[in-house]
Amino acid sequence: MTAPALRLRQISKRYGATTALDRVDLEVYPGEVLGLVGDNGAGKSTLLQVASGAHRPTAGELCVQGRPVAFGSPRAAAAAGIHMVYQDLALVPTQDVGTNLYLGDEPLRGGPLRYLGVLDKRRMRREADQALARLGVRLGPTSRPVELLSAGQRQVVALARAAVRVMAAGHGVLLLDEPTAALGPEQSRQVRQLITRLAGQGVAVVVVTHDLPLCFAVTHRVAVLHRGRKVADLPTAETDLDAVVGWITGARPHQP
Amino acid sequence: MTAALLFARDRGIVVLWGLLILLMWALGGSSFASYDNAVLILNAAAVTAVFAAGIAIGALAGVLDLSIPGTAALAGVVCARQLVDGRGAVAGIAAGLAVGVLAGLVNGLLAERGLNPLVVTIGTLSVSSGLALVVTGGLPVSGFTDLEFLGTGRPLDIPAPVYVMLAVYATGWLCLTQTRLGLRLTAVGGNAEAARRCGVPSSRYRVIGFAGAGLCAALGGILTAATVAQADAVVSTGVLFDALTAVALGGVALSGGRGSLPRVLVGALVVATIANGLLIRDVPPYWTTVATGALLIAAIAADRALSVALTRRTLEVPR
Repeated sequence: MTAPALRLRQISKRYGATTALDRVDLEVYPGEVLGLVGDNGAGKSTLLQVASGAHRPTAGELCVQGRPVAFGSPRAAAAAGIHMVYQDLALVPTQDVGTNLYLGDEPLRGGPLRYLGVLDKRRMRREADQALARLGVRLGPTSRPVELLSAGQRQVVALARAAVRVMAAGHGVLLLDEPTAALGPEQSRQVRQLITRLAGQGVAVVVVTHDLPLCFAVTHRVAVLHRGRKVADLPTAETDLDAVVGWITGARPHQP
Repeated sequence: MTAALLFARDRGIVVLWGLLILLMWALGGSSFASYDNAVLILNAAAVTAVFAAGIAIGALAGVLDLSIPGTAALAGVVCARQLVDGRGAVAGIAAGLAVGVLAGLVNGLLAERGLNPLVVTIGTLSVSSGLALVVTGGLPVSGFTDLEFLGTGRPLDIPAPVYVMLAVYATGWLCLTQTRLGLRLTAVGGNAEAARRCGVPSSRYRVIGFAGAGLCAALGGILTAATVAQADAVVSTGVLFDALTAVALGGVALSGGRGSLPRVLVGALVVATIANGLLIRDVPPYWTTVATGALLIAAIAADRALSVALTRRTLEVPR
């Protein structure tokens, strides 16, 4: 049995008197898609913020590939292979697709040009094309500025950017916050396919969503949060929409 | 349709310049369309273009530097002071350029402390023009000949400032399009928060943007001093308006992240061509000032109209 790509053990997060998360255990394995659902205020966002290094938990422990870690910042989490894809996308609209994929990690030319910081644009474009092809993503030329892409295509670029970094490291976890919010049906389908394909490449994916059809379409396992506590965590195939809605609203008792 | 909008946004300025040349040719005849007059336009555009490069580099990084005339005046008089004191052209130019970079760093570090960048640069505009007066004691600095090669020299029968202008644009263009520095600078201008999340230290690059603007401003100030063989502490805001117009005509988004230096160069040539054509037609020069201002507003209006039209086309969810 491989170690979980990411494991949260007895995580609690309190803001003053409010308990946003109460002793939550969660784990996601390489190649697995975990759906994280719950009502507004159930603690989904807080959980993502803790996992992505934006906030420190009040109590509990995070483990990456079996090793305990503590993240001081999102950058530290990214260095450990935990990548958050933000809801507001955070792309540079005026730059092309290739640049957005490699910004912060740009390939440079060899030799003395390296010291001048001269970019290897051809390599950047080629690697971008290869990475997108491996993800089965078709966006047209990677030299297109992101501002000329549709909302769905931008979401795909944002996902691909995190995926490229995860695949370069050979392992990692993607945290997706509402990946299909504000997308049309066709575009959601593209994003769904991309998530499935990423998992097929061994990436662990956590999807936070209100979109239950999406959750049932792409996840292997689903965890439900209710008022800061995990009330259910089971294989998607062993449950159904009614049961999950019941756990989300609190109408159904805690999973045994 | 999208392609037509993109063409208008990215190539429109070149078309506009072509039409303008035809118009001025029709109005001014052979006194406009001559080699000598073309050289005159290039020379007139040179100083404006160098200032415009500074504003454009700042704008690409998402910062708008209005202190450029003050930095230019201070750099010009500091350089002239060195020359009058007999330290030679190299020391003079180096001192002037250092003043420019320093002014840019001050602007940048203040703006990155969360102060409103526009107001900061207006403040430093006042500070640097005051300092320029302190250096000169209120009288123009003259009596130096070391800068003739930069100002009135004419290698190959083309005025030296034109070479300086071309060198600035070639270097700037290479830096912005071929290096990591340029890529990150424009990325930070496009979306500083996104760049930061990718591990790019955004505020450092914005400070670099200010420093680049200061460097170009200082070079423009030295060039001005070289062409008239005299450095004056009097700040000319006219150059700021001309340069800003050239930048806007060149399609540089003043909100940051988008634009290209070669187009800014064409923008500066448009401004110079209009001034030249009006002069040839004996229109009083005041009208040139009016035309430049109107052009600035027209340029940002056109850029906005095109951007809105483009966004509308791309953000529509296809059904």
